[in-house]
Amino acid sequence: MLVKTVEGRAIKVEGNPDHPVNRGRLCARGQASLQGLYNPDRIQQPLKKGADESFQPILWEATEKILAGKLAELKGQAGRIAFVTPLLTGSLDNLIDTWLKALGGGRRLRYELIGYESLREANRIAFGLQKIPSYDIEHARLIFSFGADFLETWLSPVEFARQFASMRSYREGRMGRFVYIGPRLSLTGANSDEWIAVRPGTEALLALSMIQVIIADNLASGLSQAEVRELRIHGAGFAPESVAEKIGISADKIRVLGREFARQRPSLALADGKSASGTETCVAVNLLNYVVGNVGQTVQFGPNAAAGKASSYSDVRKLIEAMEQGKISVLLLAGVNPVFTLPEASRFQAALKKVSLVVSFASFPDETAAASHLVLPDNTFLESWGDYEPWEGVRGLQQPAMKPLYNTKNLGDVLLSVASQMGIQKTLPWENFYSYLREQWKKLYEHVKPETDFETFWTEALRRGGFFQPGRRQVVRLNPGVLRRQFESPTVVDNVDKLTLIPYPSATFYDGRMANRPWLQELPDPLTQIVWDSWIDINPKDAQRLGVSEADLLVLQSPAGRINLPAHISGGVRSGVVAVPVGQGHTAFGRYAQHRGANPIPLLPKEPETVSGGLIWIETQTTISRTGEKHPLATTSGSDRPHERLIAQTVALGALQRGSEPEPRRETLQMYPEHSHPKHRWGMAIDLNACIGCGACVAACSAENNIAVVGKEQVGKGREMSWIRIERFDEGEAERPDHHFIPMLCQHCDNAPCESVCPVYATYHNPEGLNVQVYNRCVGTKYCSNNCPYKVRRFNWFTFEHPEPLNLQLNPDVTVREMGVMEKCTFCVQRIRRVELAAKETQREVRDGEIVPACAQTCPTRAIVFGDLDDPKSEVSRTIKSPRSYHVLEELNTKPAITYLKKIKPGPVEG
Amino acid sequence: MNYSQVDNDVLRAMQAPGWRYYAILSADLVVLAWGIFAWRYTVQRGLGVWGINHPVMWAMDITNFVFWVGIAHSGTLISAILYLFRVRWRAGIYRTAEAVTVFALFTAALFPVIHLGRPWFFYWLFPYPQAGGLWINFRSPLIWDVFAVSTYMIISVLFFFTGLVPDMAVVRNRTSGWRHKIYAFMAQGWQGTDSQWRHYKAAYLFLAALATPLVISVHSVVSWDFAQTIVPGWHSTIFAPYFVAGAIHSGLAMVIMLLIPVRRVFRLDAYLTQSHLENLAKLIILTGLIVGYAYVVETYIAWYSNNIPEWQHFTFQITGEYAIPFWIMILFNSLVPLLFFLKPIRTSTPWLFGIAVLINIGMWMERFVIIVSSLAHEYDPYSWGLFVPTWVDISITAGSFAWFFLWFLLFAKLLPVVSIVEVKEELPPPMMGQKGER
Amino acid sequence: MAAANSGVVGSFRHLDSLILAIEQLKKAGYRELQALSPIPHHSIDEALAKPPSPIRVFTLVGCLLGAIAGFTLTIGATLHYPLIVGGKPIVSIPPFLVIVFELTILFGGLLTLGGMLLNARLPRVHVGPAYNPRFSEDRFGLWIGCEEKQYDEVERLLENAGAEDVVRGAS
Repeated sequence: MLVKTVEGRAIKVEGNPDHPVNRGRLCARGQASLQGLYNPDRIQQPLKKGADESFQPILWEATEKILAGKLAELKGQAGRIAFVTPLLTGSLDNLIDTWLKALGGGRRLRYELIGYESLREANRIAFGLQKIPSYDIEHARLIFSFGADFLETWLSPVEFARQFASMRSYREGRMGRFVYIGPRLSLTGANSDEWIAVRPGTEALLALSMIQVIIADNLASGLSQAEVRELRIHGAGFAPESVAEKIGISADKIRVLGREFARQRPSLALADGKSASGTETCVAVNLLNYVVGNVGQTVQFGPNAAAGKASSYSDVRKLIEAMEQGKISVLLLAGVNPVFTLPEASRFQAALKKVSLVVSFASFPDETAAASHLVLPDNTFLESWGDYEPWEGVRGLQQPAMKPLYNTKNLGDVLLSVASQMGIQKTLPWENFYSYLREQWKKLYEHVKPETDFETFWTEALRRGGFFQPGRRQVVRLNPGVLRRQFESPTVVDNVDKLTLIPYPSATFYDGRMANRPWLQELPDPLTQIVWDSWIDINPKDAQRLGVSEADLLVLQSPAGRINLPAHISGGVRSGVVAVPVGQGHTAFGRYAQHRGANPIPLLPKEPETVSGGLIWIETQTTISRTGEKHPLATTSGSDRPHERLIAQTVALGALQRGSEPEPRRETLQMYPEHSHPKHRWGMAIDLNACIGCGACVAACSAENNIAVVGKEQVGKGREMSWIRIERFDEGEAERPDHHFIPMLCQHCDNAPCESVCPVYATYHNPEGLNVQVYNRCVGTKYCSNNCPYKVRRFNWFTFEHPEPLNLQLNPDVTVREMGVMEKCTFCVQRIRRVELAAKETQREVRDGEIVPACAQTCPTRAIVFGDLDDPKSEVSRTIKSPRSYHVLEELNTKPAITYLKKIKPGPVEG
Repeated sequence: MNYSQVDNDVLRAMQAPGWRYYAILSADLVVLAWGIFAWRYTVQRGLGVWGINHPVMWAMDITNFVFWVGIAHSGTLISAILYLFRVRWRAGIYRTAEAVTVFALFTAALFPVIHLGRPWFFYWLFPYPQAGGLWINFRSPLIWDVFAVSTYMIISVLFFFTGLVPDMAVVRNRTSGWRHKIYAFMAQGWQGTDSQWRHYKAAYLFLAALATPLVISVHSVVSWDFAQTIVPGWHSTIFAPYFVAGAIHSGLAMVIMLLIPVRRVFRLDAYLTQSHLENLAKLIILTGLIVGYAYVVETYIAWYSNNIPEWQHFTFQITGEYAIPFWIMILFNSLVPLLFFLKPIRTSTPWLFGIAVLINIGMWMERFVIIVSSLAHEYDPYSWGLFVPTWVDISITAGSFAWFFLWFLLFAKLLPVVSIVEVKEELPPPMMGQKGER
Repeated sequence: MAAANSGVVGSFRHLDSLILAIEQLKKAGYRELQALSPIPHHSIDEALAKPPSPIRVFTLVGCLLGAIAGFTLTIGATLHYPLIVGGKPIVSIPPFLVIVFELTILFGGLLTLGGMLLNARLPRVHVGPAYNPRFSEDRFGLWIGCEEKQYDEVERLLENAGAEDVVRGAS
């Protein structure tokens, strides 16, 4: 990650182009990390809970002394210390282990709500490696995702999104195909060619049945004859006919899917395994990949993902048990919020009371910090030294982008300081975390033995953002036992009164840790377009049966508890299930997250999955009842339907292959001669086939252009301020949504309808083809917005606030607009000017690709290309020559500077 | 009836008002003060306190603007166009009609300022030279509005006061003290000499001749605020004649609405006769038919054009969230006025008044429907939205009515509500042969 | 012209008496006649036979000036401040014509009024002594500019025509 700083303050983050994972791109959550740094609710100094249960400020020395004293008391019974962090990698992780060892030991947990236990366990069962491998999405010709939402939350979404876009790109008459399998249509699913809405928990059956099809058709190229025979015997019960009804699809469909999966090699099947039979699903999918020979090709062990190192849910439960039994005296919590993320939050809270010292290293007030005795606020990562290793061998090195904003201290520094107070500095001889980090990197330096000295190596690593030498590939063999495995067939009960709950990590808040970022609260959920809230997705059929209408406040009752949430009727969930996003429902996580929606995790079963020890996400049977109240949901979408307007256009793959793209663009009759653009004409190409609708561009634009956050009430009135939005149109039927995404921003029309109606020239066309908005000249007639067919102009209805210290994030190159003026996308004119001036200083021309607006910069799939339309060699000029290119609302003859490329629709997978 | 009696009757209306007048005036001032407070609140907080939003960025503000500009039109029709056509019955009612024009314009002119995001910069809409060489955009229909409405207001005020001058001489001669000074000033030293009359009549004729195309241009320009855009439901060549007819339609109704109480309160039945009202009602039949025709043609063309956004807009208008205002508009503007074909109805004061009120409601709704429903469903369905008024919208609208009626109330007591001179002109001049006539 | 401040005013109850008086006085060779009346009446104009009002020239000049001002303002300002809007040429005549039209009317109206004030000698601070408030009500007046020695003859002519009241020495 690269951070742009001005006058000592970080104002924008961007991906590091040198980094093999993000390759310069970030997701919306990454963009919003600045709002972690500048969060107005940050804990600004150490706090100690007084007798009256309220927190009082305390000095660092005193806090450390308390902690050191308590730890010293426990000398010789170090088992009474527990340290819970999220999944850390790199030096801090090592330091914590070293520190605990210096204390004489202690429990160490790397707790993640989303721990991929079933996936790891399945890999152990199938291949003997309890790890998460690399997936080569890019080179697969057909992908089946069994509930793995790899474009939004699963493992490494930015990396996978890039690979996915590349796989889906149309080259030499071909493009990769993608089928999504699961009871809920996620954002990932919305980007598939086909959504197979199976009954929850039957994913394994489908995979096994597909294997039987493949064997029967002699397509199992990855297996020996003996293995085939064995599979045939043990899997006889999974013939399509015998399982089709259970899964909820036809036997023929299973046959088609199985055959195509084997034929389109290399193919790739991904599994998430969140159901009660999650491990079974993952093992079955492993087998499926193995049968057609994908393992070693598109599924590659080494380099493996760091996500494989997280502690399991059952480890956390064991800790709670230990706490309850009084076996834990000091509990150290850094960057985790188990009170929010554990199903048994109340049990954990009760257990906390049995711990004599609970220390939180939280940067923000959260539910867990509220329950602790001492809060030692950690720096945010933008203020700290550190390193991390998302994949084996991919070591990122991070340096602080700015001085700590408040009286906070790096966790590593605190640990070292406490150690020295305890007098154990002999085992921990580092002055501070920075020197520890350097020493760790020295070890790496000695390990790789480059031809330079360490200082050069270190400086180079800092400059490049790390040292990237991805780990070696490992060859795995299938554990033959898997062939004989007795897969359990899930029992499917069709109980009309019960609906299976599917909680899912939100694309914007992940597991809830991002819910205090106003940009993300205001970023519409990609599928529902709802902001600042959470809801229950319910199928129209179920809604009708239960008499539920949109925005009805419902009670969702599970054996474990109940929550109240409004209904959102959506064909994006299968009948018989309800889906609730995770991430909202905070009770003590700052002003932005407070009391929004509800947290579904407490509804989940307490008991972990027996095989993997992971949390069971999808099993809970719930009932729904109406409260009689309404809870209006604020959405940015005026209508979900395209109403024949041809805004997000598509082209059938077949038509593209035949080259029978109907009617080329007509030149319209002009009343006036075209005006000239003496030097440049800036323009953009947006490939809708690449756009996955994730919203990273929207967040990046907010960060770059000081876009105001207006809150739920104002969004409900249609007053969101985003300059770029992802419009989502549903062209499917009520039960089969077919989502099309299109980023919509100012089209910088040559014949801009907004310009001629402005009485005061506050908006006009500049010689470089930009539609310019002059805030100082604007009097606020709002006429321009009325006449903008794209509706991309935003009006400052009020003086929108940037509460301190969020104001420090404001980009000084961009005016903060005042009440009463219109604003809109500028194509990041400040970036254009910066490059133009730099070019002028060195007396050269601006190079193609040198100017990158914030949206294009961050787009994980590179859907957006910016450049000079007057330069025939520029990338944008070349891109718009595509037969897929079109202008939105072309018939209005506005001559936009943005050309869209139609999304390619290959249609469902057929035999 | 003779000349002196005309003076006496008309000036009687200008005598000191009774408590009822003050009660009405106070109520009006309270509503006006509330409207001013609502606007002040808007300026302080921002336009967000209104119900307007993205995409409906104009709603009741511009509805009121168009409504009041429209009201203005009948006054000019009666005073200028009917003058040019030498329509004799205009004499009794033209003063009131013209007053309606002037005050409606005073009201309408507020809204272009009120609707701004930064109203303190309203003067930026005028062409004035300044150091930056910054000019206005003459291509913008809003600038046309500025020119058209300003011109209309100036010409109407001039026309109004020119017409008043001979009457002011009458009032001047009948008053004393400070009132005398004011009326003497307004009479400008009028004596009624033959040369004064000659130049006066010539000027009046030319002003009428200029006002006639002006009035047509003004509402055409107002209609172009909409017709010049590309918004489905606005972009229509029929708008100029349609708006002019609609403007006169509502203006005539407003004149009827005001004449009836004026006639009753000031006992001017002899001057504002039933036949005046009947003639106005007949004109309303005509404008009502034109407006109704425009509704039909507009909808037909939307269907015939086979333009998807256009036709969907009309179906939305007819069946969507704004269907009730739409059907009010159809019913009150084009169907109810047809009752005037029946003589008993157009000669019945309660019916006349009631229908005039309905037409005014209908015409307000027409502008509301055109502005709001078109903006609500534009080209991009993702950006569709709805306008729901807030208390501020409603207060400012109520305040505008109070502002208009404040002027009218002052007018009714301070100026002759019937043109003395023109009524006298319509009487047979005293001749030797008619000695018995008193 | 005879002494500007000397003359005789006759007051008439009836319009036809006034016309008769005008005709008789004209026959007697009096040229300085001024009628005062509560209403304009074509018979008075016909009897006095004065030249038509020059106001129309003012109106015409005003309209022409307005049109020129309109073109000058719109074309001049856009050339001075040349910004491209909506893909239209800098000098876009059709929209400018609206401005031209409005200014034509505005200037025409203003000059018409100015012409009226100028020609009718308005405004004036004092109403002349020849004026009787009843001339604005229900009486017709006729002022004859003449020398004192002619007063008797004028008075006789007026009374013959039916004047109910004659005032001497008024101007």
